Amino acid sequence: MRRRSWPLLSVLAFGYAFLYVPILLLILYSFNESRLVTVWSGFSFKWYGELLHNRQLLDAAWLSVRIAALNATIAVVLGTLAANALVRHGRFRGRTGLELLLTAPLVMPDVIIGLSMLLLFVALQQTIGWPDGRGFSTITIAHITFSMAYVAVVVRSRLARMDSSLEEAAMDLGARPLTVYLRITLPLIAPALLSGWLLAFTLSLDDLVIASFVSGPGATTLPMVIYSSVRMGVSPQINALASLVVALVALAVVIAGVSLRRR
Amino acid sequence: MDTLEVQPLNESRRLVPSPSDRRPLEPWQDPKAAPYVRIERVTKQFGDVYAVDDVSLNIFQGEFFSLLGSSGCGKSTLLRLLAGLEYPTSGRIYIDGVDVTDVPPYSRPVNMMFQSYALFPHMTVEQNIEFGLKQDRLPRRERAERVGEMLDLLRITELRKRRPDQLSGGQRQRVALARSLAKHPKLLLLDEPLGALDKRLRENTQFELVNLQERLGITFVTVTHDQEEAMTMSSRIAVMDAGQIMQVDTPTAIYEFPNGRFVAEFIGSVNLFEGKIVEIQGDDVLIEAQFGGLMQMRSLQPHPIGTPVVVAIRPEKLRLCQTPSDDGVNRLQGVVEDIAYLGDVSIYRIRTGGGTLVEMTLTNIQPRTEQALTWEQEVWVEWSPTSGVVLTE
Repeated sequence: MRRRSWPLLSVLAFGYAFLYVPILLLILYSFNESRLVTVWSGFSFKWYGELLHNRQLLDAAWLSVRIAALNATIAVVLGTLAANALVRHGRFRGRTGLELLLTAPLVMPDVIIGLSMLLLFVALQQTIGWPDGRGFSTITIAHITFSMAYVAVVVRSRLARMDSSLEEAAMDLGARPLTVYLRITLPLIAPALLSGWLLAFTLSLDDLVIASFVSGPGATTLPMVIYSSVRMGVSPQINALASLVVALVALAVVIAGVSLRRR
Repeated sequence: MDTLEVQPLNESRRLVPSPSDRRPLEPWQDPKAAPYVRIERVTKQFGDVYAVDDVSLNIFQGEFFSLLGSSGCGKSTLLRLLAGLEYPTSGRIYIDGVDVTDVPPYSRPVNMMFQSYALFPHMTVEQNIEFGLKQDRLPRRERAERVGEMLDLLRITELRKRRPDQLSGGQRQRVALARSLAKHPKLLLLDEPLGALDKRLRENTQFELVNLQERLGITFVTVTHDQEEAMTMSSRIAVMDAGQIMQVDTPTAIYEFPNGRFVAEFIGSVNLFEGKIVEIQGDDVLIEAQFGGLMQMRSLQPHPIGTPVVVAIRPEKLRLCQTPSDDGVNRLQGVVEDIAYLGDVSIYRIRTGGGTLVEMTLTNIQPRTEQALTWEQEVWVEWSPTSGVVLTE
């Protein structure tokens, strides 16, 4: 084993501590017996048990996961189409416009996106009667608009690095454009699609600002519930829920990592 | 020395077949032979740039045809036009008598081997070779047979389960070749087929490629920037520059009888002597050279007196003498300025009185020549009327 100098090791340790100690503390305190979040009084699964009976929190979590999954799926489809257009179709009319439109959500403050989406939905409701009230669908649409931009960025860089002669070779061997796309392009950019999906999923799962603007009665996402309940004082149930979310995300990342390495 | 005996020279004269020198291997000599690939006044523009500029070309069945030129001369674009990966701005392309100008690449009876090989990284060698056959919806058994045949042909059977990233450069090249041959195309396009291989491997592969082509009877069209490669492998070469074809001919004819200054200078080394025709003597012309003497050269085309010409002579066709011969033409006096010993031959650079540098090569026949030339030695450079060609720019 190679020896490393202690200053380097301590910098590394500090870096990891900075990133992970808060999360570890949160997980640790989710097993705390005490009602007070800051006082340790013994090990217990009590709060996980109570969490299972807290319909409000569970409903919010389920809603968030549904929105995040649907959002990620649609964002991957739209983002990939946009990336394809930008990378593979040369200089078409409106290319610069599309590029600008795609990057805008990356730099636009959430508050502005949320507000403008709200105005749009209200105006739409008044003119064409849709969406009929705000909730699941409006949050999903709002999330898609900004997360597809992230997907497009990820997929675009992967596409740009892909040797276009692979697609030409497939065509030369007799494959029609659709077959080329399904058999050659898609398998080769699949890792980017997966990471794009996970990125969009996470972005949606932890969005509070935009969701607060475009949500309506009866559609409260998990971040909204956590945020509003923290104002009343943190319940250890939140710690338990957060630990579960961390476990879920960690699992997803591990699965993604393993499947990417297998390729 | 059989190269010097080659008679036919310019296009117009060569197209007349004399019964004696008509050989079945040279269909381009036969006016009745139908070309397999016919490129008719094809132009390809990218923006303002003419990548291919009004090119017409006939390629015959069974040929090993090379497009030769420096990078950016349009040779790759021409190949891509044949593959259908680009569409011409104007002009028509016929393959086997069918107008394929607007036919997409997946419907053309043509396969291509890409310069980067373009092997599908997510498929094994076997799956790569099978890909084209699957597109033709061949039954499974036939596909397996064809893949086996290709693996045998290129001796890569033991690699069939590997992925491209587990192969060496030479192995990848064989897999790419196998994949492009699997569909039994009648026309195979090869973009710099040996470009990514090291020198040793390249030389072996050159001969293998030619053998393969002769065995399968497929028409090959390759693109290369390596003149040696083109000379070794091709039945005919098209030398390209700035989107245009400068000369199409056999390797021998291209080397011995370039049709202009560009081709003469592009292929191998050449000495160019400028001058003006002053007299015509039968087949020969007398040229007043700019270096101050007279040249008597065999001229293949009739030129009127007064035409400014360039005489192109290859370095190995010059003679070196200690004393001048007495006929007074085709000679130059100078001093040896540079000697490069290459083992089999030596290259001499001779500075003449007029200041021009003449390059010549001499074969090192003996281990050490007794009258070895040394630097600053006074010598005469001489040649005969058939040693070079007379070019009019």
